[in-house]
Amino acid sequence: MESQTEGLQDGVWAQPYTLASGQTQYHQLGQVRLWVTLLDQEWQLRSQTRAPETDPVTWTQGIGHTLPSSDVELQRFIRPGDSNVVTFIPGVASLPTVIRPFQPLTIPAGGRCVIYVGTVVWMKVCVGEAKTVLTEVPLGMPSLTWVGRNTMEGELCYSSSSFARLVLEAVPKRPWRAVTPVTIVNQRTEPLLLERFSLPTPLLSLHLNERGQLWTPGVTVVCETEMNSASLNVDQSLLAAAGPCQQVGPAREPVARGRLVRAFDRMFG
Amino acid sequence: MSVFTDIAWGVWASSLFLLVLGVVLGSVAGRSAARFMEQRSSRHHTVMVRRLVFYVIVLLFAVAALREAGFSLDVVLGAAGILTVAIGFASQTSASNMISGLFLLVEKPFEIGDVIEADATIGEVIGIDMLSVKLRTPDNLYVRIPNETLIKTRVVNRSRFPIRRLDLTVGIAYAEDVARVEALLLKLAEKNPVCLEEPKPFVLVTAFGPSSVDLQFSFWVPKDKVLDGRSSMMVAIKQTLDRDGIEIPFPHTSIYAGSHSEPFRVQLLGPETTANKEPLDVDQDR
Repeated sequence: MESQTEGLQDGVWAQPYTLASGQTQYHQLGQVRLWVTLLDQEWQLRSQTRAPETDPVTWTQGIGHTLPSSDVELQRFIRPGDSNVVTFIPGVASLPTVIRPFQPLTIPAGGRCVIYVGTVVWMKVCVGEAKTVLTEVPLGMPSLTWVGRNTMEGELCYSSSSFARLVLEAVPKRPWRAVTPVTIVNQRTEPLLLERFSLPTPLLSLHLNERGQLWTPGVTVVCETEMNSASLNVDQSLLAAAGPCQQVGPAREPVARGRLVRAFDRMFG
Repeated sequence: MSVFTDIAWGVWASSLFLLVLGVVLGSVAGRSAARFMEQRSSRHHTVMVRRLVFYVIVLLFAVAALREAGFSLDVVLGAAGILTVAIGFASQTSASNMISGLFLLVEKPFEIGDVIEADATIGEVIGIDMLSVKLRTPDNLYVRIPNETLIKTRVVNRSRFPIRRLDLTVGIAYAEDVARVEALLLKLAEKNPVCLEEPKPFVLVTAFGPSSVDLQFSFWVPKDKVLDGRSSMMVAIKQTLDRDGIEIPFPHTSIYAGSHSEPFRVQLLGPETTANKEPLDVDQDR
């Protein structure tokens, strides 16, 4: 792939890219390398996940004619219509994401805090004017975890370690991570030790600002009496610091009351 | 000829028509009910409702057909009452299975789509019927287990809960550092994407075996990733222990020749020697 490093540019979400038949578009973002090839009758996708130790900061893409070695997994798709446009749409995680700060955070009785959480997004490869989704590629290796009262009742979630940053400027903005401001209000008479909590990512929509950063609406968690009776509210608007944004990815699930009640039960594990 | 003319063919035809109509209507209504339930309920409940709707409609039409044919329902039920004892003896097994089936439905130890282990058979439940439960085994065999057997025997539902714990036994040589192996195994669990972070994986020393220290390595996986989780983890364990030079002892077999345990005498014979060798006993003229 060394020859393809020439002529690479920054990739952009939700922007249509036009390919000629026989051309391959190469992407490198997060832990993923992706090759999208257009042929006369089909689309071909090749993706490779790199070691989690690598920590790239940019999303680069370029169009050429170079393909990776044959050991990279290939997916083939019938080309719907004769469109030669490919668009990349971000998607939130399909399961709730458990955020575990490296160092637990204590919120005193009656206190509140806003922590900024970055979660990995999925890349939907869409083709044609109708944006037909060919496949979804996770841009990080999500590990699974279980949140619930016991091993019988609970929910499978993705896990994400976090620094639980309290300052927005300190949050690294990566093209493959969406930032969610989480407000936690402790209305109890006792301090609240925040060791981990479950962020209902499927309920969040994705928005892109002018700097190419992804944002989701804020989430407010109010803990009144017990941990299990915490109430959760997804904000209607985005954080002002995000600036002007356009919605690029819808929420995977509608905000339904029943779903939220279940989420509250498992909010703090 | 009068036998045929005496029969009221019209009455029998209308009864038959009612019966067929009942079956057709029951089938259509059952399918409609199933389609309605599909999006709203589990596969198990959908099948139950479909059958219930079918049988109720067929029963109603069967009663109507009997009345049409001139049978009084009271007489039919009376006859059934008298025959109950005889039928009971004759169909003891069937009745027992039917009643067991009712208990299975009420108790609901498994649903259609669950993977269960019963009577030394593992398989996915593809049908819970009046007399038996049908399973599809992993090697694609169709297994029918009578309901009565399921009531009596131990049934393990392998897919009731969303996550499962896998316990792998790892034996290491006595010379190895157990704490180091434990750390390596836990690191493997951390890296494996199928392995859950919570509940935490753990390692126990379970026995000092004849030739190895036996460890139990336990970790949790989603219920649909059991085979993948077990296999990928065992491969990873073998690779890691080999790479780090940790010995996995295995039983050795020694062959002793005779009581004195002397080694075999091996002699290579050339073609000329072979030609001059002594004839075998069987070839000798006696």
